Amino acid sequence: MALLRREEWQGFVRDVDWTYSYVDDEAVYPEWMSGTGKVPREAWAAWEESYKISYPEYVAVQREKEASAYAVKAALQRSTAFDHLDEGWKSATKMHFGGVALVEYAAVLAELKMARFGLNGAWRNMATFGQLDEMRHAQITTFFGHEFIGKDAQYDWTQKTFHTNDWVPISLRNLFDGMMNSANVVDIAIELPLTFETGFTNLQFVALAADALAAGDVNFANMISSVQTDEARHSQQGGPTLEILVEHDPVRAQWVIDKSFWGSARAFAALTGPAMDYYTPLEHRKQSYREFMEEWIIDQFIRTIEDYGLKKPWFWDEFMRGLDVWHHGLHMGLWYWRPTLWWRPKAGVSRDEREWLAEKYPNWEQVYGDKWDVLIDNVNADNMEATLPETLPWLCSTCHLPCCNATQSRDGTWRVRDWRLDYDGRAYHFCTNGCRQIFWNDRDNVNHETLIDRFLAGQIQPMDVGGILGYMGMTPDTMGDDPDYTAWTRDYVGRPAEGLATAVQS
Amino acid sequence: MTAGLPVEDRAPELVPLNAIFATDFVQILVPVTTADTMREVAAAVARHVEGKRVRALPYPKVVIHNGARLPDGMTVAEAGIKPLDHVTVEYDIPEGS
Repeated sequence: MALLRREEWQGFVRDVDWTYSYVDDEAVYPEWMSGTGKVPREAWAAWEESYKISYPEYVAVQREKEASAYAVKAALQRSTAFDHLDEGWKSATKMHFGGVALVEYAAVLAELKMARFGLNGAWRNMATFGQLDEMRHAQITTFFGHEFIGKDAQYDWTQKTFHTNDWVPISLRNLFDGMMNSANVVDIAIELPLTFETGFTNLQFVALAADALAAGDVNFANMISSVQTDEARHSQQGGPTLEILVEHDPVRAQWVIDKSFWGSARAFAALTGPAMDYYTPLEHRKQSYREFMEEWIIDQFIRTIEDYGLKKPWFWDEFMRGLDVWHHGLHMGLWYWRPTLWWRPKAGVSRDEREWLAEKYPNWEQVYGDKWDVLIDNVNADNMEATLPETLPWLCSTCHLPCCNATQSRDGTWRVRDWRLDYDGRAYHFCTNGCRQIFWNDRDNVNHETLIDRFLAGQIQPMDVGGILGYMGMTPDTMGDDPDYTAWTRDYVGRPAEGLATAVQS
Repeated sequence: MTAGLPVEDRAPELVPLNAIFATDFVQILVPVTTADTMREVAAAVARHVEGKRVRALPYPKVVIHNGARLPDGMTVAEAGIKPLDHVTVEYDIPEGS
């Protein structure tokens, strides 16, 4: 018997569904998992993915991708390319491996939830491919990072990060648990494939692959490109879900997008921002983080939400202003609290680098230059103690990142302001108005304790810097430090320096 | 043993604060006690920042809580500063300097 052509059978099998007779539909697709809300159950029958694929095709394509990615890796393993990479780039990859490997695994769980509780057969089918994709991403990211442990113990955090209580994974767990693990499948499809993947990572991975090539890291470019091709396919689960939700419940659609865009933008500011504007060697920078966000993320996001008849999020002005502030403050925080990191953060504030920063961010010198100058003068005075932390930064009760976002007053000065909320008998502090608003709307779903909460509750013992580092899983062999103090301080050697900590204490 | 007394008469109690020093870039955790004066609170906050990230200036410091400048000799208990409250510590720079 001749095989049917693809177009003769795919329309029939891609969305197999049937009416249940032994059980209620609600028993199979309970609201708390499937989350149809105000959308009538039958409306989901219209769900249709734009790019269709069959299982044999999927397997054939993925097999080729895997073979190719691992072949390139095997070939490069014999070269000395890794040994010649700049530490700034290596640290960007350490941050990526640790910050991403197990998020990919969390995404397996999210895709599996959609594969089981999605409200249309085609959606469940797509999610089945999606979970296979995410399993591949968790594996390839873990495996590629693992290779370097012998050369640099910090790569051990590829697998270790999410098993620790370091403040960075606490922040990321908070974001991704909300986006992937605790949400119902309708919200997952909008938060993960649509906002985070289509909006952020899909395009960022294209840029990251280009950055890797510029830095001479062909192996990383190879890995990230391989991952990105999957993102482009499975991220399309968001569109059809949003289309149906917008028609029946536009308020919920807007809220879910707004919240996940904000959370994604905060995480990007912490990780992608410093990597692009500080860790990447000056000669390899193609654009600033702000330019990248404007060109790759914002334009596309606005087009997408307008196509679906939605509005810009309520926080838009605050978010746009934050593009000049958030990641610079977070970079300084990451650097100052560098013993809490599993990478080596470059300060990146030599004279040439500062000229570049001031050109890209006209307020940079006014807001950050004075603080870096004091740090530089302390390094040059060999007063390293003054450059190391003795307490915790205050961590935001929504994004769990340090409260370090200066805003400008009417008189032109820049100050970090307190965004406070009193709720249920206690005070909470936030890094921004956006984080405060999201906490308030989601207050009954907030379960994560910030590191500050844990510290004050006595969960971290002894209650000192050593105790905190131990609680975070930090060990002396992997603890972060600046890779080259001279690189960014030598331009300023010999200049007069007053008002340093040593002078104050003497 | 002192729990029933007014807060200013009790043994000093820990008051963790959310604090920011002048033009610093980040809020920090600073533990003080109910018996600390504003002078001591200002010093406790400044210790983490002054001369480390913000250049030290030769001026006295003032604690601001809920928008009010608090007198140097006032204690945390007298000022009604509670655990997890926010305080700002600023240089008290004379006008025209």
